[in-house]
Amino acid sequence: MTSWRNTRGLRAAGVSVVALGLLATGCGGDGGTGAGGKVEIRYSWWGGQERASLINRTIALFEKKYPDIEVKTDFQDYENFWKKFNTQASAGNAPDVFQNSVAFLRKYDDKRVLLDLSAQVEAGNLSMEHFRAGLDKAGEVDGKLVGVPVGGNTFALIYNPAEYKKIGVTPAEGWTWDEYDAATEKISKGGLPGDSGGGGIMYLYDLVLRQNGKAFFTDDAKLGFTEADLEDWWNKNYARTKAGVLTDPKKIEQAKPTSGLSKDLSAGEFTWDNFLVRYTSETKTPLAIAPVPTTDGKRTGQYISSLMLSGSARTKHPKEVATFIDFMVHDPEVGKIMGYDRGVLATEEQFDAYEPTGVSAQIAAYEKQIADNVEPITPHPAGADIVEAAFLRIAADVFLGKTSVDDGTKQFFSEAKTALGS
Amino acid sequence: MTDTQAAPAPSPPEERPAPRKAPAASGRRRARGENLAGYLFMSPWIVGFLLLTAGPMLASLYLAFTDYNLFDSPRFVGFENFTEMFSDPRWRKSVQVTTSYVLVGTPLKLAAALGVALLLNKPRRGQGFYRAAFYAPSLVGASVSIAIVWRALFSDDAVVDRSLQVFGVHVGGWIGDPDMVIYALVALTVWQFGAPMVIFLAGLQQVPRELYEAAQVDGASAWRRFRSITLPMISPVLFFNLLLETIHSFQIFASAYVVTNSKCGPADAGLVYTCYLYEQGWTNLRMGYASAMAWMLLVSVGLVTAVLFWSQRRWVHYEEDVR
Repeated sequence: MTSWRNTRGLRAAGVSVVALGLLATGCGGDGGTGAGGKVEIRYSWWGGQERASLINRTIALFEKKYPDIEVKTDFQDYENFWKKFNTQASAGNAPDVFQNSVAFLRKYDDKRVLLDLSAQVEAGNLSMEHFRAGLDKAGEVDGKLVGVPVGGNTFALIYNPAEYKKIGVTPAEGWTWDEYDAATEKISKGGLPGDSGGGGIMYLYDLVLRQNGKAFFTDDAKLGFTEADLEDWWNKNYARTKAGVLTDPKKIEQAKPTSGLSKDLSAGEFTWDNFLVRYTSETKTPLAIAPVPTTDGKRTGQYISSLMLSGSARTKHPKEVATFIDFMVHDPEVGKIMGYDRGVLATEEQFDAYEPTGVSAQIAAYEKQIADNVEPITPHPAGADIVEAAFLRIAADVFLGKTSVDDGTKQFFSEAKTALGS
Repeated sequence: MTDTQAAPAPSPPEERPAPRKAPAASGRRRARGENLAGYLFMSPWIVGFLLLTAGPMLASLYLAFTDYNLFDSPRFVGFENFTEMFSDPRWRKSVQVTTSYVLVGTPLKLAAALGVALLLNKPRRGQGFYRAAFYAPSLVGASVSIAIVWRALFSDDAVVDRSLQVFGVHVGGWIGDPDMVIYALVALTVWQFGAPMVIFLAGLQQVPRELYEAAQVDGASAWRRFRSITLPMISPVLFFNLLLETIHSFQIFASAYVVTNSKCGPADAGLVYTCYLYEQGWTNLRMGYASAMAWMLLVSVGLVTAVLFWSQRRWVHYEEDVR
């Protein structure tokens, strides 16, 4: 609410006066200008406590360099972040700067929530240069710049190398789904399921579809696959769950928000490569990273996605917002602090400044290894987030045996059509 | 919506002293002055009610007939939201989950409250302490922290799971099991029986001793005395508690939301009505549909309340003069 600085002079006058002073300054906020004529901007993100403490360190750096700007912070877990964000944004009170991702760009651009940062780039407050591997275009929607990438990530298999060693398999580029299925079956015979179960992960299914010349979403905001395609995918996953190759979904539900892999409930799972940072902090088991299996031994269908920073269209301080984002994506010190928590650092300044060791070195090596094989990203239409949630939830219904594959597929298609408005 | 705080048990109306005779004009002036003072004191509540309750209710009634995503202006769609509900499998699921929660949870909670109230009704040492101790969970029960504790208690290999294993029962984690999660929620509500318990206690204190004494002289067993004296005598209190707890149960949200890790799952097994309403409103940004759902809930709870009121003729006994 208020800062002690305003009332410091009053302290001598006694406790009651201080209290009055607090009340007075507390009610006198003018929404945006902080103590001592400072500009105040609000910054919020999703993530855990660990990310929060890293980000707070970067903010301390920023405030030191820009003493006229004060940054107020707020963070939630992923689910609750967007609920709170929707409440704030619909009331015209979205945070000035917030974490964003590809899946939400179009949705919030449609609702005119996102600040078009192009003007700030032209004014020289924000640089869009020195981004790695085409990431400078990742935050554009219809020619507007609505997001600035802070890190790039791509899908991967994060696995327990000891388990793979036992069966004498080394996951490597170009391996196929048949090889993967055989390996996980073999591992699960030893008692530990081979995979946490990825049948409900939209991004994984997207890769499988892309390997077969399709995609989860089409360019005109529809689903890019048929009910029969999905039935095949879920039938296969259901059979593997029943056979114990994939972890019992009840246990996975229970482990949340921790992942099945970091609870040692499986020997591997498909997820974003930067999650290796979080997973290794959650478990003592050494983990490693490998490419997604392929259908034909060549095409993985992988693309680089990214977490971004966006500004609110309603912000009163677009210049300060741009300055802040510019600092956060280009400053080498920030890169050193954040590491690969939000993906491999997006700009060359930060990428070069940070010397990855341990887990981060694994991620860097992985992204380097697959760099030649990445493809352009699938466009995510408005409603993609709701489709993703429905896919995950209905898949859980199916694998828990509460819904048949047939009914689940029909329900998913019906919900997806509503969400995509098609 | 409805405020379900504990209210005192009904008490017989008192004889009001007859107003003193005064000249008509000045009396009216004084009455007006008193009225004004009354309204003045009530004004914070009245303003609060109009702005924070009545206003939003009217707004949501309008929104129930629109397609509204919070960002664009509402588009009138007539009864579309209401007809969509009946063809929405998840809506039907949420009705089913909520109904079973109410049907299982409410009677169990009332039974627990009455049972403990009967135990605490007899004078014994430390009575005050026991009453306070049993009431305490109701005070903290609605808080999110308790729901988090609950989640931990009923997880895989946690306290509840291990305790049951001692008796050879192996459920595993309740929270991840679509067949069990609802019982974890029921257990949470039953545990918070303190508020109805206090009301039952007040009711039990009102039962005239001499009825029991007379029954005892006639050789009635304890069960017989409970069935033929206690139950009929406290039936108005029982009715009151039943009504309040039923309405309260229909509105379950926070505990379900937190216990299920804000997913109301798994497999929608914890999808209570308000949870689905919240998801439609704040995640899917379908405020019109959510408003329609809210009104549907209001009407349904109203209907259930009406049925309970209708049923009371058959089983609630008021003393003649009170009624």
